[in-house]
Amino acid sequence: MQVYAKPKSIKENSSFTFCSGCDHGLALKLVASVIDELDIQQDTIAVASSGCSVFLYNFLEVDCIESPHGRACAVATGVKRAHKARNNDKIVFTYQGDGDFASIGLGESIHSALRGENITAICINNTNYGMTGGQLGPTTAMGQITTTSPTGRNREYHGFPIKTAEHIALCEGTAFSARVALYDIKNIYNAKNMIKKAFEYQKKGLGFSFVEILSSCPTNWKLSPSDSHKKIKEELTKVYPLKVFKDVLNG
Amino acid sequence: MSYIVIDSSKCKSCYLCMEVCPNKLIKKSGNVGKTGEYTVEFVDKENKCTGCAMCAMMCPDIAITGVYKE
Repeated sequence: MQVYAKPKSIKENSSFTFCSGCDHGLALKLVASVIDELDIQQDTIAVASSGCSVFLYNFLEVDCIESPHGRACAVATGVKRAHKARNNDKIVFTYQGDGDFASIGLGESIHSALRGENITAICINNTNYGMTGGQLGPTTAMGQITTTSPTGRNREYHGFPIKTAEHIALCEGTAFSARVALYDIKNIYNAKNMIKKAFEYQKKGLGFSFVEILSSCPTNWKLSPSDSHKKIKEELTKVYPLKVFKDVLNG
Repeated sequence: MSYIVIDSSKCKSCYLCMEVCPNKLIKKSGNVGKTGEYTVEFVDKENKCTGCAMCAMMCPDIAITGVYKE
């Protein structure tokens, strides 16, 4: 009996173009299996962003639209509202990196949450600008060494990192906001449940649902995939606690 | 007898599956994969695989394409 198979929403014969050990593949796999489980493949529209997540349409067997850098939530708003106006409601989600969601696109992201747009946003937080070579981003942890902070992020020069899931949870239009990680099997199953919840909340029309996924970036962190997971477990989860920050149905 | 199927053309040699397997049944093979390092292979001479599918859940590249349990 087959107990595990490739999710149907991942394209046949496609192979991820991410670096070895990158959690992007894991995150995409979870999104695809949630789409399968909820049986919404025909009703889902994905909004891809710029960054490592840019090739989303090559991997997912759902309709995809590419957005300008940082504007995924704004594009998703238009897609969702246009379909709703024609009484043809779709499940719309964005798949963005932290540079896209929390840096260049922070305005679009926060205001989508404030408007309570009935979309789902998934943000892969790998604490640097992964695709452009590992520069310091808004989510880089204090003391973390990147190519543009060779002595580590410090308070005087760079300031403090943004905690996206907490900020989104403060917006009144947000229905669900959580942060998850993918460093072990327990957390992978938890992440899948949270992504599923975010999609279900959109189906129920409760408002903006958001999942931030703490992800590894072995190439730019200059660590092995296994050491990268260890770093997330031991260091990053202390800076970015794994928690549900807002859940309108469960207080 | 449970077993897994590995598509070594997709394996990027991250070795996360080797670490997560509770019975350590996944080992480095002698074949070089697309990242220039050895891909992994499934070696289970004593039928120890329980079909837990943890390796497949962990694989970021869906190189473990199927897990079969009996």
